[in-house]
Amino acid sequence: MATSLARISRRGIAYALSSNLIRRSFAAEAVVLKTTEVPKPISEVTPSPDRVKWDYRGQRQIIPLGQWLPKVAVDAYVAPNVVLAGQVTVWDGSSVWNGAVLRGDLNKITLGFCSNVQERCVVHAAWSSPTGLPAETLIDRYVTVGAYSLLRSCTIEPECIIGQHSILMEGSLVETRSILEAGSVLPPGRRIPSGELWGGNPARFIRTLTNEETLEIPKLAVAINHLSGDYFSEYLPYSTVYLEVEKFKKSLGIAV
Amino acid sequence: MGTMGKAFYNVGFWIRETGQALDRLGCRLQGKNHFREQLSRHRTLMNVYDKAPYVNKEAFVAPSASITGDVHVGRGSSIWYGCVLRGDANSISVGAGTSIQDNSLVHVAKSNLSGKVLPTVIGDNVTIGHSAVLHGCTVEDEAYIGASATVLDGAHVEKNAMVASGALVRQNTRIPSGEVWGGNPARFLRKVTEEERAFFSSLAADYSNLAQVHAAENTKDLDETDFKKLLYKKNASDAEYDSVLNDLTLPENVPKAA
Repeated sequence: MATSLARISRRGIAYALSSNLIRRSFAAEAVVLKTTEVPKPISEVTPSPDRVKWDYRGQRQIIPLGQWLPKVAVDAYVAPNVVLAGQVTVWDGSSVWNGAVLRGDLNKITLGFCSNVQERCVVHAAWSSPTGLPAETLIDRYVTVGAYSLLRSCTIEPECIIGQHSILMEGSLVETRSILEAGSVLPPGRRIPSGELWGGNPARFIRTLTNEETLEIPKLAVAINHLSGDYFSEYLPYSTVYLEVEKFKKSLGIAV
Repeated sequence: MGTMGKAFYNVGFWIRETGQALDRLGCRLQGKNHFREQLSRHRTLMNVYDKAPYVNKEAFVAPSASITGDVHVGRGSSIWYGCVLRGDANSISVGAGTSIQDNSLVHVAKSNLSGKVLPTVIGDNVTIGHSAVLHGCTVEDEAYIGASATVLDGAHVEKNAMVASGALVRQNTRIPSGEVWGGNPARFLRKVTEEERAFFSSLAADYSNLAQVHAAENTKDLDETDFKKLLYKKNASDAEYDSVLNDLTLPENVPKAA
């Protein structure tokens, strides 16, 4: 009885040991097999040979060029459509609205405190200005640049309003507290004196601004600042698109 | 050390899953006003049924531009940010070395008042300024269309001509070679000077080179952009801060600490 028990137990142990060993060796082999054989994706994705027709990333908002990186203040609202390239600095409280393009590749662009560049504007800085002064585009504080404007190497002093669809050519200077009407065109090097209303193509003097109107200018900038706060709070700090990308890749069988 | 790395990896996944679950919870709390971000469906090059754009390999097309339909872009040309080249009703052909600056619109006409349907032909080394609108017109080589200009159907801008900024060139206007037209409606202003002529061709070349820099930057993928961000953080220096720092020197007559 004892011997048979011992035999059974010995056999049982041997069997257990051997089977365990065998199982472990199989497992080791299986692991080796798995690591050597990379799982093939279900569908082969080949990049298009000549040009990418569609990139799921869309257009990047901030485009560094060389050693320049566009700098956006933490509470500035920059719409996702906007392209900031090169030497661009967007200071606190300012906002850049949809579709604007701020291209600081040739020279510096600065957007001052509580200013706003509205929809679809193009702000560019030329290499050199006909006035001989530095050809950077400087938009000072409390400036409202209306929609679809074109600003090229101009200087806009504090508290101005630039009307919609206006064109400010190289070297133009808009002095503090002046208003440019919509659709006005400033030829290169034109100076708008302080506290006046100009308009037209090319811009001509219309009248001086009353004191009440001058006080309204920074109020407009602050109002747009509040509006941009609403838009700013709609966006999460980081986009959650990567979840969609992972889902997308999984459905295509590409390794995530 | 392998097991530690694996443990951290797993913990990382737990935290990410928690974050995603919290994200879903937050979406549910926001109720029907919540916004879920979708992939960008913007198509840089889009075909309308059988009309597909052909863009030369050496050309720069900004990702936010839209080139749809029957558009042919030549070698070394650049289509900048936010441009729309809509070749759906007819064809657009852009020559070599041409630059179409930011936010411009090139459109073709299917029907216009005079009944003529015209493709838009833009020659070589043309510079089309920012926010220009070109509609069913022909622009010959080495011309310059100023910023925010509007060139309407049937207009013909000849070689070396210049359309001033903000001009409106009305239908079927012919701008002879070497002249500057401007205003609304566009009329003859003056002749193009010799230095301006040289300026145009150098401008086209400059923009071509600039386009290559932008092209290189825009085609970077995630690893490269992240790496670059890291480099910027390391080498971050503010010009104003540094300049103030350099000014902090003792005046000449103060004895330095022994």
